[in-house]
Parts: sequence; structure tokens; C-alpha cells
Amino acid sequence: MTDGSQPWTSRFTPRTLKDLAGNKRAVGRLLSWVRSWERGVPERRAAFLFGPPGVGKTSSVVAVANDLGFDLLEVNASDYRTGKRLDALIGRAAMQSRTVLGRRRMILIDELEGVSGRQDQGGISAVARIVKGTRSPVVLVATSASEGWEEKFRPLRQVSLLIEFSPVPFADVLRRLKTVAREVGVDVDEAVLEFIAERSRGDLRSAINDLESVARGRDRVAFSDVEWLGERDRQEYTPEALLKMFSAKTLRDARRVLASAYIKYDDLFDWIYENLPLVLDDPRDLAEGLDALARADIHQNRARSTQAYRLLKYMFNGMTGGVALARRRSEGAGAIKQIRSKLRRLGFPPSTFTVSETPDGVVVKPVRYLGRDWGRVNAELRGLGGRWARDEGRWVIPYFRPPQLLWRYRRTWHGRRLRKSVAARLAEKCHISTQEAVGEVIPLLKIIFQGDRGMAREIAGWLELEEKEAEWLRS
Amino acid sequence: MSSGMWAEKYRPQSLDEMVNQTEIVSRLKRFVQERNLPHLLFVGPAGVGKTTSILALARDLYGPGYRNFIMELNASDERGIDIIREKVKFFARTAAIASEVSFKILIMDEADSLTTAAQHALRRTMEMYTRTCRFCLIGNYSENIIEPIQSRCSIFRFSPLSEEDIKSWIRTIASKENVRLLEEGVEAIYQASKGDMRKAINLLQAAAATRGGEVDDVVVYSVLGRVSPKRVREMIDLGLRGDFIEAREVLRSLLVDEGLAAEDILRMIYAEVLRLNIPERWKVRLSDAIGEVDYRLTQGSRPEIQLSALLAKLVLAGEEMGR
Repeated sequence: MTDGSQPWTSRFTPRTLKDLAGNKRAVGRLLSWVRSWERGVPERRAAFLFGPPGVGKTSSVVAVANDLGFDLLEVNASDYRTGKRLDALIGRAAMQSRTVLGRRRMILIDELEGVSGRQDQGGISAVARIVKGTRSPVVLVATSASEGWEEKFRPLRQVSLLIEFSPVPFADVLRRLKTVAREVGVDVDEAVLEFIAERSRGDLRSAINDLESVARGRDRVAFSDVEWLGERDRQEYTPEALLKMFSAKTLRDARRVLASAYIKYDDLFDWIYENLPLVLDDPRDLAEGLDALARADIHQNRARSTQAYRLLKYMFNGMTGGVALARRRSEGAGAIKQIRSKLRRLGFPPSTFTVSETPDGVVVKPVRYLGRDWGRVNAELRGLGGRWARDEGRWVIPYFRPPQLLWRYRRTWHGRRLRKSVAARLAEKCHISTQEAVGEVIPLLKIIFQGDRGMAREIAGWLELEEKEAEWLRS
Repeated sequence: MSSGMWAEKYRPQSLDEMVNQTEIVSRLKRFVQERNLPHLLFVGPAGVGKTTSILALARDLYGPGYRNFIMELNASDERGIDIIREKVKFFARTAAIASEVSFKILIMDEADSLTTAAQHALRRTMEMYTRTCRFCLIGNYSENIIEPIQSRCSIFRFSPLSEEDIKSWIRTIASKENVRLLEEGVEAIYQASKGDMRKAINLLQAAAATRGGEVDDVVVYSVLGRVSPKRVREMIDLGLRGDFIEAREVLRSLLVDEGLAAEDILRMIYAEVLRLNIPERWKVRLSDAIGEVDYRLTQGSRPEIQLSALLAKLVLAGEEMGR
């Protein structure tokens, strides 16, 4: 391996069976199925490999072909979206069991999830036809989210040996990363490798990609170099999971997101709560969905306080299915409505911006030069998770946004700290609870501090307030 | 004597200065004469003299240095019964030396907010230190105090103050502070205080600070309008108009920026809903929804979610009323 310009994922792609990481059982089934062709055409002429991305589905096929001496004909199905073109390419090859040079042949049809299942185009039925007549082993590969079987694969499932691939275990990912780091000669902290392995969720390819992105061209990588990856992960992955959850039509599908989302369910709960009103913009749906969420909170608290964790399943059902299935009349236009109303509130006539929905989010583009106003608009849209794309001269605001509560807590930290210290002084001096101090006395105290300087000075002295506390009461 | 908050400045210092709750005061005076007292349980609404009574008793009992012999805890501010027990242990370890009384007094406000389990733990602690420490538990409702504690305490039920009690006392304070308090101002303060003396005095002070020492009903209402209920009203109106997202923003600002407790916000929502100009039938329905949330606040762990669910109901109500 000397070609340093190659991406590491292809440089370290397994060539033989012993290089494969994880999924031993699945690979074993594939191997014995291919071997069975030596005794003649088996009942199932195709093997259907499915599973999450980056777990070695395609690599296994390549390794098996290499080790058993097959000539592999590889087709990327998403490049040939219609049946006619697939037929032309592999139909004939499948009718012959050997190449012109006499080598046995194996056919790999990859990325099946990209093939059209519609009747008129018939990509899937073309593949099914190929499978029925083939005299060489055909391996079909599809990337699917967990067991999310799409209806369109039904004709293929019936004629194929189904082999499921699972995420690669953490230890195997870690071992592989260590090998890669050693071979490229970069000194990478163990903690970094563990962090990358952990966040890969068993996707070995993405783990190697991540390693390359932090380690290529360096001698040493420390943990501080990779912390940002964690942030990126949360931001990119969770909205996807939310989209799936909100569009689920069955409780089962909605619940499944919980299992596949790689964040703690408490965090997912907050994400759902934050974005729910953007999706459920019909009052009836909103009330129903939020009630389901509020009841989920109660189920969780009961589970916690009684330690009867079996009760958690009711929480899970409520926060996923309860919310998703409440969506019956909503248009899901909450995000764009909110953005329009924010812009109006800032005092701009609607004609100042074009506001449109795109796959990336809501796009806000000023029609005229904003000058000094730009800062104001930017601050407001950033609050909604928006980003200014300078090259295109527009803001893009994603449809789903991270929970705002934490952000709000962080932003108001200073004021809350002062309020807390004033409340503690009041509680002691006035023989009340800090809660009463905050709820009843501080609002009146603020009025006093803003209205009567003399009285304020006297009270500040009596409470022994520091200047910045008094200032906070005046503000 | 300079004291910043009038509610403290004019708090009776001795049982002799107390003009209300005469029945209770005379019984407490006997304890002082005998230099002994049982564990006490004071129950009654806010601002009727519960804390004042025990502080006055302590001063009468121990003299000016009484602060050394008492400890005040507020159950709602303490994190867990274990911390309370630690504090009690530390405080009650030593007898009240340098005093002719052999015990100290531990005052526990909002004792009725403790969970049943915590109250049982507290009862054991009370028994352990009975020799060196008397407990004065304070709360709004005796029903929320477990039976074993009730049976170990002398129970004092404080009655609500009369209209005249409150009005005459704030008139007295106003004249001592050179505030021109008009009769309409007295009435407005009394109405807003709902029988809570501390609230009435605080309101008087804030009103006096706003317009150079003249207080009429207009000033009082402007003060009331500037404290939180105004934002609560804004939140309700946004909800009824169908703007859930903005209503939720206000809710968050009340919870986080102003640090209000969910229970307090809910109480204000309730008061505002009754004042709304909507069909009476809807007030009943909304009251039912508020009641449900009030209960759920004790059952759930995310108060904002529970209050948000109520806002969603307001949105729905607004929509249905508009039809």
C-alpha cells in the first residue's frame, strides 16, 4: 500500500475474508451459499444483503469472490435506474456461468435502495427477472435503516436468501482503527480512537473517514482535536431521526426512531418538544400531540420514582407515536410561518425578503441591501438556528432546531445568578422562601429600585447588596 | 431604626405588639411565662402572622440575642431531607447554654411541602433531639402534615385577617412613612392582597416608590400591571389568538429569565382566565384543564411541558370560540 493519495476507506477496504471486521455469521452464510453453487444451481439464486451503511456488505462480497476465485461483475444499481438498462447490462452476463476466459462469474448488484420500484419503470422487476434466469450467483445489496423493509423489495425477498448485516461491534471498529493508524504512521491517542469508534455507531466506513479527516497529514492527534466531531454528529443526525419520527404512520415506525436515534431519549424528548409546534400547526393536532408528550413525561416520572422501569415503554409510545399520529390536519408549515411572523415583528414589510422552502430548510433572501438592519435580522434568525450563507446572500434556517432551553439558560446565566443571590438575601432577611422572594418580592423590589432612589439606597444597604446586584434590580 | 423593607420594619417584635390572632397569642405567652414549650405546628393562609408569632415568641423567650437560639429552614429551599437532617443535627447537638431555657427552636417553614417519606424521617429527627430542640413547623394546611407529626405537636390554626385589620395597619404604616394614602388606594391594596398582610405592605411600599409618595388606586393598579401577571396575560392572549410558538416563548421567559415557579405561573394563569372576557362555559372548561395541569405538576418532571400542554389547550379553545 503505497498510494498515499487514495482515500483511506478504499486503501483499507478488505480484499480477503480475514480482513473483514464483524458480521461473522452473515459472512459465513454468504460463503456457504456461494459454495453451494459448486454442486449446481441452488434453489435460491440470489443472496440479498441488507443492513446499515458502512458495515461491510459490499466488502464481504468482494472478499468472498476473491477468496473463492470468482470473477466479480459489479453494478451500481442506482446508476441504472430503469429496468431496460439493467437488463442490457447484466441480463446477458447472467445467462452464462463463466467468463470467456473460463473463470466462474459472480454478479453484484449494489445500492438497490436507489432503484425505482414503480411498475412502469420496473427496475426491481428487471432484477427479479435476472435472478430467476441466472446461472451465476447474484448478490443483491441494499442499505436500509434497521429492519425498515420497503414494500418495493418484496419481489426480490421472495426469491433470495436474506442475510442481515448488523453494525460492527465497538471493539472491532476500534481494532480496525488502530490498524489503520499504525499503517499510516500517525500517533493517535487511544481516547481519540475510542471517541471515533463510539460515535460511528458501528459504521466502520464513517469511522475510517473520520479518522482520515482528523489525522491525515499529521504526526499526532490529541483528543482536543476531535471534540468538535461530537457537536457535528448531534446537529446532523438528530434532525434526520426527527423527520422520520414525525412522518411515521404507525406506532411501530415512530418507536423505531427511538432505537435508531443515537441520542439519549431524554435529549430526543427535548428535540421533539422543541420542534413539535413547527410540525403540528393545526390547533387540534397540536393539543393532542402536546398532551401525549406531557403524559409521556408523567409516565417517565412514575417509572423513575417507583423504579418500575417497565413503565418507560408508555413514555416511549407517547413521545413518539403519540406525537407522530396526532398529525392529521397539519400542513407542517410552522417553521415558515414562524419565520414570516418574526420578520414582520422586526418591522419589515413582506416584500423585503423572499421566503421559500427548500430541502435544506427555509431560505430567506433579502430583496434589497439591508445595510445596518442586517445585524438585527441575523440575530433573530440565528436564534432560530439559521445561518447566513454569504456567497449566496441568504439565510438558511433548518426545519428542525436543537432545544432552545439550554441555550436560553446559557444566555441568561448572568442575570439569573444575580437574581439568585438577591433572592437568597431577601429570603434570609424577610423570613420567606427564595421562591416567594423571586415570585412576589423581587418584581416589587424592581419597581422600587426604578422609582425611588432614596428608598432603593436604603434597601440596598439593609440587604447588604453589592453594586451589580442593585444595578440588576434597576435594569 | 432603618429597615429597608417595610414588611420587616413593621413586623411585631414581641407577642405584646401583636394585635391579631389574640387567642393564639395568649396561649403562646403562657409558654413564655413557663419557660417551656411543646413542638408546635402553625397552620393557616399566607401573611396572617405565623412566622411573626414564632419570631416574637423567640425574642420574648431568649431576649435580644434570640438569633443564637433559633434556626430557620424553609423546606422548599432545602435539597432533600438528608440535608435538613444534617442541619438539624448540627444545630441541635448542643443545648442552649448561656440561656435560662434549655432548648433551642428550629423553625421549619413550608413543612407541608415535604413528601410523606421526608416527613417520617423528620419525625424521627424530632424525637431524637427533643431534649435540646423544639420544632415549630409552619404550613398552609394541616392535612398535608402526616398524622404522627400532628399528634406530637400543639396545633395552632391561624385565621385569615379581617379586612379592617389589614386596612388599618397599612394606614398606620403609610402615616409613619409620610405617604399620602388615599382611600381608593387602601381599597385597591386590600383587594390585591387577598388577606395577605405581607403582600399588602410590599404593595404599599412599591406604590409609594412610584409617584413621589402619593398612593391612589391608579398607582396601585399600575404597579400590579407591571409585575408578572401582565406577561402572563400576554401569554394567554397569544395562545387564544393561535400563536402557540410565541406564547411558548413568553412562558420560557417567565420560567427562565424571571425564574418563576411553574406553580406560581399556573396560579396567575388561573386568576387571569377567570377575568377573561369569554363565555362562562369556557371558563369552566379551562378551569378543568388548569386543574389537570396543576395536579400533573406534582406528577411530572418537566414543568415547562405541562404548562405548554395547557397553552396548546388555550390555542384550541381560542380556535373553537372563534367559530
